Amino acid sequence: MTAIIEVEKLTKSYGRRRGIADVSFQVGEGEVFGFLGPNGAGKTTTIRVLMALIRADSGSAKITGLDCWDRSVDIKRSVGSVPGEPSLDGNLTGGQILEYFANLRGGVDQKYLNQLVERLDLDTGRKFRQYSTGNKRKVVLIQAFMHKPRVLILDEPTSGLDPLNQQEFDGMVREAREEGRTVFLSSHVLSEVEKTCTRVGIIREGRLVKIGGVHDLKDIKRYEITILFAQPVPVEAFAQLEGVTDVETLNDGRAVRLAMQGSADAVIKAAAHYPVISLTSYEPSLEDVFLRYYESDGRPAKEVAANVV
Amino acid sequence: MWFRNVFLKTLRDYRIAIIGWGVGMGLVIVSPMASVAALISTPAQHAALASIAAQFAWNADPVKADTVGGYATFKIGVFAFIACIWPLLAASRMLRGEEDRGSLDVLLSAPRTRLSIALQKVAAMWSALLVIGLISGVIAYLGGRAFKGDFTLADGLMWGLDLALICMIFGGVALLISQFTHERGPAAGATGALLVVFIVVDMVHRVIPGTDWFSRLSPIYYYNLSKPLITSYGTSAGGMLAMLAMAMVLTGAALWLFVRRDVGDAVKVPWLDRMAHPAAPSRSLPVSDWSLRSVYMRSLGMIAVPTFWWTLGFAAFAAWMIVAVRQLADKMNALLAGAQGSPAIAVLKNIGGGSSTELNGLLLGAMFELMPVLLMAFAVTQVNRWSADEDEGRLEIVLSTPQSRAAVLLGRFAALATATVIVGVVTLATAAVAAAIGGVALDGGNLAAATLGMIPLGLLIAAIGYLAAGWLRTAADTGLLSFLLAAWFFISFIGPDLKWPDATLRLSPFYYYGTPLLHGMELANLAVVLGVGAVALTLGSLRFARKDIGV
Repeated sequence: MTAIIEVEKLTKSYGRRRGIADVSFQVGEGEVFGFLGPNGAGKTTTIRVLMALIRADSGSAKITGLDCWDRSVDIKRSVGSVPGEPSLDGNLTGGQILEYFANLRGGVDQKYLNQLVERLDLDTGRKFRQYSTGNKRKVVLIQAFMHKPRVLILDEPTSGLDPLNQQEFDGMVREAREEGRTVFLSSHVLSEVEKTCTRVGIIREGRLVKIGGVHDLKDIKRYEITILFAQPVPVEAFAQLEGVTDVETLNDGRAVRLAMQGSADAVIKAAAHYPVISLTSYEPSLEDVFLRYYESDGRPAKEVAANVV
Repeated sequence: MWFRNVFLKTLRDYRIAIIGWGVGMGLVIVSPMASVAALISTPAQHAALASIAAQFAWNADPVKADTVGGYATFKIGVFAFIACIWPLLAASRMLRGEEDRGSLDVLLSAPRTRLSIALQKVAAMWSALLVIGLISGVIAYLGGRAFKGDFTLADGLMWGLDLALICMIFGGVALLISQFTHERGPAAGATGALLVVFIVVDMVHRVIPGTDWFSRLSPIYYYNLSKPLITSYGTSAGGMLAMLAMAMVLTGAALWLFVRRDVGDAVKVPWLDRMAHPAAPSRSLPVSDWSLRSVYMRSLGMIAVPTFWWTLGFAAFAAWMIVAVRQLADKMNALLAGAQGSPAIAVLKNIGGGSSTELNGLLLGAMFELMPVLLMAFAVTQVNRWSADEDEGRLEIVLSTPQSRAAVLLGRFAALATATVIVGVVTLATAAVAAAIGGVALDGGNLAAATLGMIPLGLLIAAIGYLAAGWLRTAADTGLLSFLLAAWFFISFIGPDLKWPDATLRLSPFYYYGTPLLHGMELANLAVVLGVGAVALTLGSLRFARKDIGV
């Protein structure tokens, strides 16, 4: 697969503040690449370098073989982007904003633009200032997709979208992939990346700590299940089950909290032997996952970085 | 300590403004004191100064202009009201600006009533204004002592209080207007326009006899009732109380509306809403709006409304000045005819020559001093929007389109250049028509030079603003430009009286603007201003092309 995004030893610092250090990865054409990391990990800094909003201290970043800084105007002809904290002129309507950016791109297919507007159910007649957070996000998403760019660079694109529109967004990304376009998507939500991406890179404290196929997420994906029973249950019934990494009893033995990794099938079948009152599943934040996965096993991030596939 | 409550936190936010404006206004009032001694060394010069001052009554009441306090009061005249710029900006930012940024939502989530929060903010601004008045009053007193003025510390402080009260009024106006706007910019702009209108309304009674009733409509009239630096004139308690009452009513009305309206929304005025939304917006695309075709057109669209109001203000001001000149010219001609050989006439003839065209040019020229300053102030407000757009992330999506950074910056600059040209041309047309109708003889070429010659000055400060925005954030950029504007004006306004060397006077762009109504525009001077502007713009473009955005 030809690499369409090539990042090599990219480093950027903000004075004393950390940015990113020695970040290297490649994204192949037609790939949907997830860029995962907790808040402040360096995802937005990487994207801002790719979009030539900031200049790297060292290293290189290329899109379609062109240097992101030197050839930024050429690159942006084939890129659509959603910034992390989009801000637009509050006095313009959604329609005016879309028309303005369409003009700055030299015009777009109006039919496709209207399709996107219908699809995300955006009222283009309202002023940007009057939009809810979700509707503001829709405007920014549409402007990124409307010219059918070869590369989409999306910084936490579904933040603020309701589940229905998130689903619609997933469909848009899927279609982009089917049409052979490339998507670079940053997120701090594991499940979102799992759903839409083919490959992922994980960044933490400015360094890329893991990169590989989406199935590798299983290694780090952990969640919790809490089951409340009508009577006390023996904890041993769950401790040895496949996927369970830790068990804790609650409510005088009438509830168990299970730390999980992988499939919950064995747990559900074991719980069925007892009268269940409720079952709740909780997906920890990526920060929690990192804290447990990368620190509890005692392996520093740099060492893990050596495992980059 | 400073984060204990809203009042202290807000006061802390104002600390630089308090020192800057306090010292700045102090220096503004002290500067003319330095030159008065040289102007009144003989009895004849005393008489000449008092006589000339009387002909420039449009600027200020010529009371005891041959004394240190009187001359300072007269010389500063309408320029004292630049002090109102800070409360105007601060008050429009106080609630509306915070709503814009969303920070008011967080503040209002604290267990405090809206009224309590708003009152603490207003109290902080009023306290800041009183401290500014205190600092400038003390500096005025020290200046008076240094240059043998006869006013006391109490007089100096009363002058500072008078200034603080007029500032409170315009702060109240801005706060009230900001309850009806969705952004702070229009509120600040409208208050600025009202400030100019009120200055002119106050001027009327000094130029046209029998119009005292009309000038009473302006709060500035009540400011001028007190002249504390002139010991024989003193302070008007009634005037000050009237100003305090106005400030309280305006601020009270603003707070009354604030606690009743939705946060993030404006007070609903049906006819204003109809003007803002003449027809139901269409959902279908494209919307085919002329202002969306390019960065330049969009930038022009963004500044269309403020340009319209500023142009209207300039045109009205120019027309008013023509009317005022006609009144003054009659008085001046009588003076010229009846007092041949006096030092005052010699001075006037020296400056202006003898014909009525030259006399009109002299009078109008003195009033025209304000016009380039105002045009540059307009440019500063527009540059402020550029740096705010970058600070607030509005450039990021524009820069994600295939537009070079230089094209984006130059598009914005070109729109501002277009706006300044429109202001200049409309002002020229209005002044010419008003002169023709009013029968005021003016040299057409010189009038064109005076109005169109302002344009390069506007472009110069804009270019410097774009350059500085490469390093500075919005507040610092605007502060720098305001400081430059004040410093340049100071150099050109006070420098000649203080016999500053030519090299110092040349540091101000107003030097190159010269006195076009009398002497026309020198192309070499024009080239200097345009050249420096072009260099600043080129450097600004280069810097913008290389800088990290939003860092």
